[in-house]
Amino acid sequence: MRKYLLKRILFSFFSLFVVVMTVMLLIYSLIDRSMIFQTDDIWNKRNLNERTVYEHMQYQRYGYLTYQDYTDFVRAKYTEQYGDSYSTQAQFKADIAAIQNENTYLENATVQEFIAKTKAEGYEVKYLQPIRFKSGKVKPGGTGFLLASREKSVVLRLLDYLKGFFHVETTRDVKDANLTERYVRFEKDPYSGLFAIVGSGTQHKYQLYFDGRFPFIHQNWLSINLGTSYTTYRGMEITSVISKPAGDTIKSRTQFPALLGTDQYEKTAIDFHSLTYNANPTEADREKFPDNYTSYSFRRAGLSPLETSFVIGLFAAVIAYALGLPLGILIARRKDTIIDHLGNAYIIFIMAVPPLAYIFMFAAVGTKIFHLPYKFANANVKVLAYFLPVISMALPQIATLMRWMRRYMIDQMNSDYVKFARSEGLSEKEIYNIHISRNALIPLVQAIPGTILGALVGGIITERVYAVPGVGTLLTTALTARDNGVIVACTVFYTSIAIISQILGDLLLAKYDPRISLTSEGGGGR
Amino acid sequence: MSEQNKVLKSEDELFRFIDNDQFVSEKITAPRYSYWKSVFRVFFRKKINIVIIAFLVLILLVAFIMPIYWHYDPNENVTNAATYNLSPKEAIQYFGGFSFKWMLGSGNLGNSILYGIVSSARTSLLLAVICAAINMTIGILVGALWGYSKKVDAVMLVIYNIIANVPFILMVSVLVYIIGQGFWSFVFALTVTGWLFIAFFFRTQVMIIRDREYSLASRCLGTPVSRVITKNILPFLTSVIVTLLAQELPSYIGMEVTLAFIGIGLSAAVPSLGRMIAQAQGAFLTYPWEFWSPVAVASAITIILYVLGQNLADASDPRTHM
Repeated sequence: MRKYLLKRILFSFFSLFVVVMTVMLLIYSLIDRSMIFQTDDIWNKRNLNERTVYEHMQYQRYGYLTYQDYTDFVRAKYTEQYGDSYSTQAQFKADIAAIQNENTYLENATVQEFIAKTKAEGYEVKYLQPIRFKSGKVKPGGTGFLLASREKSVVLRLLDYLKGFFHVETTRDVKDANLTERYVRFEKDPYSGLFAIVGSGTQHKYQLYFDGRFPFIHQNWLSINLGTSYTTYRGMEITSVISKPAGDTIKSRTQFPALLGTDQYEKTAIDFHSLTYNANPTEADREKFPDNYTSYSFRRAGLSPLETSFVIGLFAAVIAYALGLPLGILIARRKDTIIDHLGNAYIIFIMAVPPLAYIFMFAAVGTKIFHLPYKFANANVKVLAYFLPVISMALPQIATLMRWMRRYMIDQMNSDYVKFARSEGLSEKEIYNIHISRNALIPLVQAIPGTILGALVGGIITERVYAVPGVGTLLTTALTARDNGVIVACTVFYTSIAIISQILGDLLLAKYDPRISLTSEGGGGR
Repeated sequence: MSEQNKVLKSEDELFRFIDNDQFVSEKITAPRYSYWKSVFRVFFRKKINIVIIAFLVLILLVAFIMPIYWHYDPNENVTNAATYNLSPKEAIQYFGGFSFKWMLGSGNLGNSILYGIVSSARTSLLLAVICAAINMTIGILVGALWGYSKKVDAVMLVIYNIIANVPFILMVSVLVYIIGQGFWSFVFALTVTGWLFIAFFFRTQVMIIRDREYSLASRCLGTPVSRVITKNILPFLTSVIVTLLAQELPSYIGMEVTLAFIGIGLSAAVPSLGRMIAQAQGAFLTYPWEFWSPVAVASAITIILYVLGQNLADASDPRTHM
């Protein structure tokens, strides 16, 4: 069994790898890369050569290529020779200015050096000529540039992505020679009153801590980096986009770390558990913080997108199982009566009608008849806003559960054990509710982990219809905004959830029905 | 003597000699059974099926013939803001008396909703039929082989376990995003992996029948695999195939509507129900006819296809032919 599980998990990693590779290969090689600038304001403001340089900068940032700029090269060269005073050197100024003359730039020794060096490294050198008005004045954005770029292969990009996927913080994370003390230890946490694991030299100060927010115990030691958003969340990491609440800041009366024990309290929203290392703190920071951990984020109200989706999905799943299974048993027992026909009509309705159509029908009924809030953000009573999304997700699930429950119940009804139970004199109620339904449930048990974990993914249509700030809209907005980073992240996220659900489902199935063995081989054939 | 003759006489009445007819003796007398005839006999026994077929024929005729006469131009009244968002009543009044064209009102650019729906229904039906045909053909053929051969099973299971992990909506939307939003790229996105799920479903069904005694007998007699599949296994699964078809056909229409709604549907050049619904979703409470008309048509088509398929599947199960 253990061997089987190990094999399954290894294969899961392999298939996840193949899926991510395929998606990356398709996205980064087939889609016109200039699409990423469609909604970029900075790109729109830049002109001519400056725009080209900006494009290279962004391409590098999003992993299409690596590039070197001549100016940076010159600066590095003279910093090495003269230290901080490099910019006053006449030679430096002459080298920088050399590329502004398209006729003579190749005669400059540094330019030649740059070209030779980058060509040796496999870069392609591009010279962007100064673009001038007829008068000879350089057009805005038309200054000359010399840069060298090298395309990054998809394989390399994939390896980079996978390398950065898990990050475990260690005391060697901070590359600052001035930091002398490096440790990880238990300390008393002044903000929670309990203990915390505190690090020095790690990226985050608090590695493990408690606070009043669900799930009450938090860690910063292990982080998963799904990728970086480009257009939809401007350079933010997707993991933090989906796991951090985005509501209003919550201010509370608290003290800065250096002022603890004094009577200087402040009303601030800073989350002191989020402190990260800052190599160059300001004077003001020095007064308030005892060490270099001075960067922070704010405490925000509400639920994170992940939590919002999960709450909705979980409630929907609970309602669906609580109603769908008994209803399925009911229509199976009353086969070919009016109850069965009504149930079947509902199942056909859900199976055949496009999901979008019935979700809007639920929305129309909910808003017009029950006066429930329609758009999530417009709800006056926040709890009411959850009603329609939960109902819209639960109703189709009820139909699916009813359908399969009915099917499996009817399949079981003529089994020998049912006849035997009847001959023993058990009541019909007992036969149906205990004996048949238990056996009919076997194939449905497999889907339970998928339903629960699937709640994390959120409802793609439901969340869009009701404007729910969940994760379900992540993929769709990314697709329309051409945000490649988010698309890859979603692929990894969705696929991992599907894989984990599948494995958990199989395990649960084997646990629920001892007759099922996951490891044995069976069947005939050639 | 006379007694004896009498007996003989009675024997004469009961029996008579006939010539040995080679031709007649070749005939086997059993009630004639034609599978498809029985299917349709059972199918048409339910009167509701005739009504549904009539509806389907009507929809097909309207969707495929009427666009020739009713040329749909979404921008025909774009310069006249007075024609925007007219309810059916207002539109008929505005355009001077009753006409089919304005009986469902006008859209947000003064376009005729009815003409839009009719041209779009054609796209949706074509999409559903083409995708279902491709997916079902490849799916069933591969599935039959997959279920039959253990070697193929080993390879295909690996492929399936990789691809099945990717949610279908993610796969389709990423593909459409990558290869574009034309009609044929849409067909490609829906069929490039869609057949795999049908094939997997079919594999399991084939495996069940593969080891039945009559298949075993065929195998012992040295019948080639292709004939065992086409003659022994596939006929047994006709009702399964039709059930599958009943689910597949409407699902593509629904998929198109869903994708259009999340912003990656068919391009503007192809009129489609999904696009009409997606465009009118903002007006869902203010100009309900713009939203509900295409939704109603899409739902009607999918329900008709689904119910018809289910009933045909019921009829194609030989156990109902008694």
